[in-house]
Order: sequence, then C-alpha cells, then structure tokens
Amino acid sequence: MELYDIIFYLFAAITIGSAIVVVNSKNIVHAAFSLLLTFFGVSGIYVLLGADFIAVVQIMVYVGGILILLLFGVMLTNRITNVDIRSGSIQVIPAIIGLAIFTAILFWTMTSTNWKSEKFELPTTTAFQIGDILLSEYVLIFELLGILLLIALIGAASIARRDKE
Amino acid sequence: MKQYFKNTFDALYTVLVGMRITFKHLFVPSVTIQYPEVKPQMPERARNRLFVNMDDCIGCDQCSRACPVNCITIETVKATPDDSPGETSQGKKKALWVTKFDIDIAKCCFCSLCVYPCPTECINMTKVYEFSEFERDNLIYNFATLTMDEVTDKQKKFEEFTAQKEAEKLAAAKAKAEKAKQDAAKKDDKPESKPE
Amino acid sequence: MYDFLVNLVGNNIVAFFIAAALPLFLFILPYALLAVLAERKVSAHMQDRLGPMRTGYHGILQTVADILKLIQKEDLRASSTDKSLFNFAPYLVFMGSFAAFAVLPFSSFFIGSSIDVGLFYFLAISSLVVAGILMGGWSSNNKYSLLGAMRSVSQIISYEIPTAVVVLTMVMITGSLNLHTISDQQTAFFWNWNILGGTLPGIAKFLLIPLMLGAFIIIFISTLAEVNRTPFDIPEAESELVAGFFTEYSGMRFAMFFLAEYANMLAVSFLITILFFGGYHSPLGYLGNTLGVEWLVPIEQFFWFASKGLIFVLIQMWLRWTLPRLRVDQLMTVCWKYLIPYSIAILLLVGLVTLI
Ligand code: SF4
Ligand code: SF4
Repeated sequence: MELYDIIFYLFAAITIGSAIVVVNSKNIVHAAFSLLLTFFGVSGIYVLLGADFIAVVQIMVYVGGILILLLFGVMLTNRITNVDIRSGSIQVIPAIIGLAIFTAILFWTMTSTNWKSEKFELPTTTAFQIGDILLSEYVLIFELLGILLLIALIGAASIARRDKE
Repeated sequence: MKQYFKNTFDALYTVLVGMRITFKHLFVPSVTIQYPEVKPQMPERARNRLFVNMDDCIGCDQCSRACPVNCITIETVKATPDDSPGETSQGKKKALWVTKFDIDIAKCCFCSLCVYPCPTECINMTKVYEFSEFERDNLIYNFATLTMDEVTDKQKKFEEFTAQKEAEKLAAAKAKAEKAKQDAAKKDDKPESKPE
Repeated sequence: MYDFLVNLVGNNIVAFFIAAALPLFLFILPYALLAVLAERKVSAHMQDRLGPMRTGYHGILQTVADILKLIQKEDLRASSTDKSLFNFAPYLVFMGSFAAFAVLPFSSFFIGSSIDVGLFYFLAISSLVVAGILMGGWSSNNKYSLLGAMRSVSQIISYEIPTAVVVLTMVMITGSLNLHTISDQQTAFFWNWNILGGTLPGIAKFLLIPLMLGAFIIIFISTLAEVNRTPFDIPEAESELVAGFFTEYSGMRFAMFFLAEYANMLAVSFLITILFFGGYHSPLGYLGNTLGVEWLVPIEQFFWFASKGLIFVLIQMWLRWTLPRLRVDQLMTVCWKYLIPYSIAILLLVGLVTLI
C-alpha cells in the first residue's frame, strides 16, 4: 500500500459512507451535513486525479455556497428550533434493484472495455490551462454564462426589493 | 454621491481617531490596585468592622436597641457594692457587669447606627475590612471580657447579694411588722389600761 | 520540507504525518496560547487595567492554566441537542481553520504544500468553518446559538465577496494563485512589496500604490469580519446572544472554538502579509546572505513572516478594543454598499494600470 492508495481509499470511504447516510438519514439536516462530507470526499478524489482546480471549486461552490444555502433553506422553512425534521425513504426495493442493474452495467463496461494504459505524468496544475481555454476557445460560452449569472443576480435583487410596492 | 465619499472618509478617519485614543491609553499607568499586596486606602469615615472597647462599656444596651437588624446581644448583671466593675476612662462609674456582648457581624449592615447612641463612645467602626471566615459561627464576635467562671461568680454574687438584701428586707419587714405589732400592742395596751 | 523529513525519518507515510502536524504543534498552538494572553493584556492596558498578573511573572502562564482548567472540565451536553452534529461541529471548525495553514509558506524552506491553487484553496477551505458554525449553532437547539450561527454565516458569506474580489485583483497583478510564487515575487527590499506597487515597471508602480492601499484596507476589513471579531462580532455578541453559536459548549469543545478563532485570525493575517507585505521576505535583506551562512536565511524568513503576521493580529486586537459592535443592518451596509463597489472599482482600475 502506497500513501496514495491509503488516501484514495480514505476519501472513497468518506464519500460512499456519507452518501449512504444522505440517502438513509431520517433527519434532513443530518442528510445535508453528510452531503458536506460527500462533497469533501469527492474533491479529495479530484485532487488525487490531478484536477486541483476542480477540487477547490468543488469545495468552494458546493460546500461554501450551495450546501450552506440548502441548510439555510431547510432551517428557515421548517420549525427551526425543533430538531424533528424528518424525511422518509420509500421504495427501497425498486431502488436496490435499479442500483444493482446500474452497477452491473458499470462493471461490465469497466471490465470489457480495452482501456489504454500508459505511463502518464499527472499535471501538477490545471488552473493555467483552464483559464487559457476558458478565455480562448470557450470565450463565448463563458461570457454567456457570465451574463446569465448577472441576470440571475439582478433578478434576485429586484425580488428582494419588491416589498416596498 | 458626495455624501457617499464623505461617509467613507469619515468612517476611516473616525476609526483612526479611536485607534489613536486607545493607543495612548496603552501607555497610561493603570489604575488597578494589586489588592492583597497593595491595600487600598480607606476613606476617613469608612464603615467596616465594629469594635467595642469593653473597658468603657457600661452595658447600657443602647447600641443593641438602636441596631436595625438586632445583631447585638447584651446581657448584664448588676454589680454588688463590694465588687465594683470600676470606672470608664471618663470617670463614669460602672454599675453593671457585662456578661455577654455578642455582635453577629454577618448580620451587620454597617449602618453605624449603633455608634451614635453610645454614651461612652466605646463602640465604633474600624478600618478593618478583611474578616471573611469559613464558618459562619466565627463571625459572631464575643466582646465580653469575663470568663465563664467569672460570669457565674458574678451571678452568684448578685444572687447572694439580692438574697441577702431580700433577707435583710424580709428581716426589716419582719422587724417592722414586729415593731408595728408591738406598737399596736402598746396602743392596745394603753386604751386597755386607760380604763384601769 | 517534506523531502527533508522523508530523508530524516526514512518512511514517507510517517514523514507525511509529521509534516502535517509540525506547523500545528510548532507554531499554531504556542501562538494561540500567546495570543489569548496578548489579547487580555492588550485589552487590559488599553482600558488602564493590568490584566492577568498572578500566574507566573505578570501572568504569562495564565492561558496555560486556563487550558488545564478547560481540559479538566466536564464535557457537558444539553439533553435536547443533536448529539452527533453537536460533537462533530467543533472539529469541523477547527479543521477548517487549521487546514488553511497547509498552503501558507512560512519560509522558503517550511511550506506545507506549494500547490498552484493555494490562494483559491485558502478561500475555499474557510467555508468548512462556515459549515461547522452552522452545524454547532443548529445542533445546540438553542435560540441564541441558532441566531448566532445564522448571523455568522450570513456575515461570512457576504464578506467573502470583497475578499474574493481583492484576491482577484492581486492575482491579476501577480499572475499566480500559488502563495509561494506570490511571496517570491516580492523578494529583496520592501519597495518590492505589493502594497508599494510590487515589481511593476515604470509609472504603473506609482499609480498602483493608492489602489493597493485601498485594496489592503478593504481586505483587512472584510477578513476581520470573516473571523467574527469586533467590530463585526454580531454572531457572538455577548450582550445579546450570550456567546452566539458556541453558547452550549463547554470544556475542551469550547476551547476548540476558541482556538479556531485565534487560528483564523492568524491565517487571515498571514494571507494579508503574503498578498501585500512580501510574505516571508525581509524588508531589509538577510543577515544570512551577508554573512554567508545559508541555513540562517530560512530562519530569518520565518521570523519575518511570523512577526508580520503577528503585527496584523495585534492590530486586530487593537481594533477590537477600540470600536463598538456594528448593528446587523450597518454590517450589511458596510459590506454591500461600500466594500463591494470599492473593491470592484479597484479591480477595474488595477486592470487598466496593469495594461500600461
Ligand atoms: S452597624 Fe448597624 S447593623 Fe451593625 S451592629 Fe451597628 S447598628 Fe447593627
Ligand atoms: S451603647 Fe456603648 S456603653 Fe452602652 S452597651 Fe453599647 S457599647 Fe456599651
């Protein structure tokens, strides 16, 4: 076992374990916080794959932004001082069957594909390349996304101001 | 827009002003008194622990009556003529033995009301303020100077004295009665003898 | 650093753990002990008091005694708390604030990980603190905790924007996200520091100075708010919310929140140091270079880095004992109406200047 392997299995275990909690937890807030660990584990695996920029974005956007928003939503819409925020899991058996089929297909693809394997040095950084590509090849899409986000921001601000009619 | 920049400037400037003030205070000598090592100076008429100068106390019970929380307990025994408690420093003659003079300082509210009525100015407030105790009973101060033996002795003496006085009184009364009887007898005799 | 440890220990897994734990035990814990004491001393002297005086000479052992006391304390947990989240929250906060130190270059020799997205990582990993605060506040099942957590999170999220914009400005000037590279660009003397225009050529350097000053003030204010210090301490406002999100905590868990707060203060001070004040570089050149003693240079660098960071921590304390707490609406006004427009304006102007 190399250090790399240990860390990989650690992150994999964190991801899968917390994902199971997300699905099975009866308490929405528990589920949301487990989602944090899932994101965290996934970003760890990104790092191991050499995608450092994506990993950091994963933490920043999902943990720092979306998850917090989600928690705010859960906490503010339910009776906040009551711990009893419950969600049930229904249709467990169909889900398990679906999961089994999906895993089988994945496994079959994994084993039957003739993967090209060659020694390949992992890139130490991806930020420069991503920046380069974003501002050259995909600049139009990038700008469009920027405008979309700006519109969303302005929309949010105008909705928030509406109370003064 | 002008207001906006003025606000910005004011915010930064006033923060700097505040910071200058606190920075100056960093070098102002502190006012803290390191208490057990350095004792604070008590003001002239500070009211703290009570003290009773038993040599001067005449046991008049005025302090006890003045106290709003009844924390002074005084018991006295009258002195017998042959065993005088002496005089106060101002030359007043004492007539009572103070057998018990307890101040429950835990109850005391340091109002100083007991000090003023004292005719001999023997109860007063000192500047001692460190007298905390682990046991509440230790806060009951006994100022009486007599020992238990002496107290019983004085009591006995007083009882003897009163008994003696009573006896004398009784005797006197008896004698008086006797005399009266005799007188009456004489008187009786006289009229009786008159007709004779 | 890591290679050196691998050579020393001979096993890369052990070396890995040592490299991870070394900054914590070598620097951050002693710093936290000192900082808590310094805070009390500074506040005391600013208010014409003396502060702790009993434990050791002028109370220097006070925090050690406090920590011992906290360790001995019973780990209380109110019966209606959400047990697992309640227990986990302090670790998350602690983890988030200490993980930030992984990318900080303490000196050219002592750096946890010189990754190329270091600056970005620093901003991202702080969001773990936000999640931890929310977790602690919610699981305590206490209105003060929840209010404190909510306030804290909304405050941190708002103030992340000016921080990020200023960081973006700096990235534009330095052209790197790697904190090590950013530090190394500001080498030699203090006029190469970014606050004095960095190493830009010609007139651009002088045009940059006022902009950098503005950027520095903005990031200082917004990071101050992010670590929840007065005047931005509405999340733990003692007079309103008892202690905010850690009201229900006691003993060692409380100490963890406390430690995390001080570690956070140091981390953002270091960030400011790296971005604007030359990182670990000496303002006046190195003694080791002039004397020809090479191993002295990293130690000197560490000294400069630590002292620059600690100066900012002291300024944070100074501000804390100077200013009263802001109201919630004032807090949001400062962020959204002042800091963000200014930071965006500075971003644009710096963009223009760098084009010259
Ligand atoms: S000071 Fe006041 S309370 Fe105390 S013993 Fe005298 S009269 Fe009573
Ligand atoms: S008033 Fe003075 S003299 Fe009288 S009993 Fe009290 S202390 Fe003694």
